[in-house]
Amino acid sequence: MKMKWFKSLAFTTLALAVMATAVPVASAASKLSGKIVINGSSALLPLTLQAAKEFKKLNPKVKISASAAGSITGPQSVRKGIADIGAVDWDASTDVPGFKKFDGQVAHKVAVIPFAAVVNKGVGVDNLTTKQLQDIFSGKVKNWKEVGGNDASIVVVNRAFGSGTRVNFQMKALDGSDFMSKGDNYKEVKSSGDMKTAVETTPNAIGYMDLVYVTSKMKALKINDVAPTEANVINGKYKVWGYGYYMTKGQPTGATKAFIEYIQSKTFQNGSLKKLKFIPISAMK
Amino acid sequence: MSAPASAAATELGTSLKTSSGKTFGRRARLAFYNRTFKAICVVCAVFVCIILFSILFLMGRTGILTFEYVSPMEFFFSTEWVPENEQYGAFIFIFGTFALTALTMLIAMPISILIAVFLAEVTPPWLRAVLRPVLDLLVGIPSVVYGFLGMTLLIPLLRDVTGTTMGDGLLAAAIVLTIMVLPTISRISDDAITAVPKKYRDASYALGGTRFQTTFKVVLPAARSGIMYAGILGMARAIGETMAVVMVIGNTPQLANSLLKPTSVLTSNIVMQIANVPFDSTWNYALYLMGFLLLVISLLMIVLIRFMQRKGVQR
Repeated sequence: MKMKWFKSLAFTTLALAVMATAVPVASAASKLSGKIVINGSSALLPLTLQAAKEFKKLNPKVKISASAAGSITGPQSVRKGIADIGAVDWDASTDVPGFKKFDGQVAHKVAVIPFAAVVNKGVGVDNLTTKQLQDIFSGKVKNWKEVGGNDASIVVVNRAFGSGTRVNFQMKALDGSDFMSKGDNYKEVKSSGDMKTAVETTPNAIGYMDLVYVTSKMKALKINDVAPTEANVINGKYKVWGYGYYMTKGQPTGATKAFIEYIQSKTFQNGSLKKLKFIPISAMK
Repeated sequence: MSAPASAAATELGTSLKTSSGKTFGRRARLAFYNRTFKAICVVCAVFVCIILFSILFLMGRTGILTFEYVSPMEFFFSTEWVPENEQYGAFIFIFGTFALTALTMLIAMPISILIAVFLAEVTPPWLRAVLRPVLDLLVGIPSVVYGFLGMTLLIPLLRDVTGTTMGDGLLAAAIVLTIMVLPTISRISDDAITAVPKKYRDASYALGGTRFQTTFKVVLPAARSGIMYAGILGMARAIGETMAVVMVIGNTPQLANSLLKPTSVLTSNIVMQIANVPFDSTWNYALYLMGFLLLVISLLMIVLIRFMQRKGVQR
């Protein structure tokens, strides 16, 4: 009698356990369907594409189409209803320099993106303070000798207004102070790739870019004596980094919700995301 | 055109009438074919016009919205382009576009006419057979390749030669554009020069003219309209060129008072900013207006030079 009672309890528990684990997984794999359109930042595109590839393997009925232009197109497409998710390099539900907030949109953090101030190899400066960076990028300081380098004019390379990298660099490295907009030794470039070429090939040039784009042909500067490394970002010493966001209209539902959950999941964050040289969002807490 | 065609159709119809009984049917069918073909041709021609005018209309309609927020005086004559602070003076870009095109033509025209003369008048036939395809291939090189080479090779070179710190600017852009339009202009001028009848040259030589005199006083004036046409095509390519220019001009909204100062032109400014502007903003409209302006400038240029060309022929 006692044994029977125990057996039936064990059976029920087992059945419940099986149901609890297997059924939701099975339903997620089979029932979830729909179409997710993602638009926005080109910096986040590699991440989005990788996540989409893996997510589609788990949920074959979900169609994902991802494309990228400027950061600002992300939240704009979401507002217009063209896209379900807008990838953007800043929190578009708040005001940032140059861009108003997008009302009614919810921001989801998906990755940590570190940025670095970079100079041409020939520049004899390794470290700049926030104040020195502000002076250089606003055009007040025009010669490297004023910040401890050689006697040579500083060539400032900037991203065009509206670039997500520019917004982040302005907020985090320059404390929100303004960039110069003209000058004999000032130029703007269209993309991270152009920035890379410009800083690599122009003597005495200074610019900035995502840390992952820094090559051996240029020098990433220490800012306030802190080197731009992944470790320094995680331990909180290096301040010039930003979150990459997915914007949705209101709280996401269905396939969109599942996709965002997937990209925020431990499996993805510690796996593919790290391989693409982004930093997991959980590392920052 | 239509008179001989219909005459031929009638002739065909009557000849058929004597040989078979179905004369009317054939005739009607021929008339139907002719009419349908004509209709299709007209539709195609109208289609092209519709495309042109709807582009003009759409660009103009969006662009004109700028003037709700910015006065035309400010847009056309102010040199302050600071969209962040609601300042939309496009004079820098308009001036830059004209200056760049003029500079390009100044360098490109003499060189390409000399290339054309060399190809048409001087070269032995076997070398001509090699050079012409080479020039044709050059026409097909994508502009982004020229831009990339300009950015990685030309600009460091300019920096060394002139001693400036940057090297970006009108001169770099004009050199890149010159290389781009050279093959176009010289190939079409070459065709124009080759088309000059041999009797002109014979007459000149018979009068005791040297080769130099014959080429520059007889052949080139005779080929003038063709060379001008080549020039228009080259200019149209130069004025609308974007990718090659954006990589070497520096993209700084400041007036180019020196050939080596980073500046910006209409095309480069549009492509730099259009991806990052909010929809339905004055900034967006201003960029559309700049595109519309570019369109109008190139249309005016073509019309203007057509008139000049007509005058030249009459004289």
